[in-house]
Amino acid sequence: MSPTAITETSSEKKAAVVGVLALQGAFQEHVQLLRKAAAQITSTYELSFTLVKTTAQLAQCSALVIPGGESTTMALIAERCALLEPLREFVKVARRPTWGTCAGMILLSESANRTKKGGQELIGGLDVRVNRNHFGRQVESFSVPLQLRFLGEGEKPFTGVFIRAPVVEAVLPRGDARVVAVRQGNVLGCSFHPELTGDVRMHKWWLETVIEDLKRREKLGGSV
Amino acid sequence: MATELPVNGTIEERNAQFNVKAGLARMLKGGVIMDVVNAEQARIAEEAGAVAVMALERVPADIRAQGGVARMSDPKLIKEIMEAVTIPVMAKARIGHFVECQILQALGVDYIDESEVLTPADNTHHVVKHGFKAPFVCGCRNLGEALRRISEGAAMIRTKGEAGTGDVVEAVKHMRTVNAEIRKAVGMSDEELYVYAKDIGAPFDLLKETVKLKRLPVVNFAAGGVATPADAAMMMQLGCDGVFVGSGIFKSGDPAKRAKAIVQAVTHFNDPKVLAEVSSDLGEAMVGLNVDKLAASELLAARGW
Repeated sequence: MSPTAITETSSEKKAAVVGVLALQGAFQEHVQLLRKAAAQITSTYELSFTLVKTTAQLAQCSALVIPGGESTTMALIAERCALLEPLREFVKVARRPTWGTCAGMILLSESANRTKKGGQELIGGLDVRVNRNHFGRQVESFSVPLQLRFLGEGEKPFTGVFIRAPVVEAVLPRGDARVVAVRQGNVLGCSFHPELTGDVRMHKWWLETVIEDLKRREKLGGSV
Repeated sequence: MATELPVNGTIEERNAQFNVKAGLARMLKGGVIMDVVNAEQARIAEEAGAVAVMALERVPADIRAQGGVARMSDPKLIKEIMEAVTIPVMAKARIGHFVECQILQALGVDYIDESEVLTPADNTHHVVKHGFKAPFVCGCRNLGEALRRISEGAAMIRTKGEAGTGDVVEAVKHMRTVNAEIRKAVGMSDEELYVYAKDIGAPFDLLKETVKLKRLPVVNFAAGGVATPADAAMMMQLGCDGVFVGSGIFKSGDPAKRAKAIVQAVTHFNDPKVLAEVSSDLGEAMVGLNVDKLAASELLAARGW
């Protein structure tokens, strides 16, 4: 293959940006794992990863991760940076793939319990009610092996690190549940912190769903 | 110093319990932890966007002014603060006072600060922190001190600065010292590193890991003298992962406004336009004490071994 051909092949790859919301919390950890995961995926897209602190940065993104951190803090900062409405647009109108871990899942829920006095702003997108700090305070935090649906049969379980973690306590409008990972359309939430393990499998699986979404959008003639 | 803390460093791989403790510190990154003395102040801090509060009977500026022996806060006060807010609540124990630590853990405090701001209970030993379920944060002035604390089980470090002064000069000095010592160690051969470990009183394996990561192996916040949004942003630009603000907020003219501004400044620490905006019209900053006017015996940072 001539060098020109190589250039042509790589220039055929469409660029797509995956953002990680970087208002507060473990955003660097997600970027590290996304980069590692992307290196293991071959696709027609050239994925790059960016930290999102402003509306302009969000506007470049085809998909978004909302990291662990303090959900009250993130909600307050997002509100003050006028990012809440653009985030709601991104998730609920543009229906871009969005993944929230721990605090991120709280923000992506339509309803949350045990919030601070006066409640807290949410982005929404998942028709669930979460219970914050479900397992209790930090001294009750733990890690445990999880069997997740995306794992192949016989694959070793995924280590779920639960830190002052929430759970989905109701799938709306039906009711009672006790769920630690949930997906509805373009939105994924989990109680635990895949960004605190060196295990790249969940990030890889999610990036593959992002790539599927990009392909679908392209087929429909929309923008990547 | 690289500010990125790699996922799954070797000390975390060794111990799942430590991963859960150090993991909470990672969740606090990019945030502001505020000293509060009652439930009302805790609510103000939460509304301002604090990632956690430090429950205290007196802020460091008052401990300094009033003198006497400073001890762990009344558990009743800590409980009131825990009930008032949903964000993590930290509390301070005296250096070496393992029973105060046991009490704080029994209360369900989310992080224990073995702190030089209180009067030390042991002038030789620190608490062995491995056995506690509650994670610990400890102060440091240099790399050796930081690695000794991590070796004892601390899951988070803060540079000490000089608490209760509103003078950021010592916080800067301690952060720059840690950074410079890491840079120095990174250039060393293993032979030199063994000698350096001996010189700075650090365990070799942790020093080696620091060299590999080119930063402290746990989350590191700045503390001790941060009083303005610009102070907080400077500490972030110097490479720390977040900021403790003690007396700087509730000893100022408009605590709610200043607290919010410092939170915004830590998120947008690299954006001078945002910093200019949030620094405007904050009312009076805490009066402050010049560190170089303090007698050596009045320096809190010198406590810790």
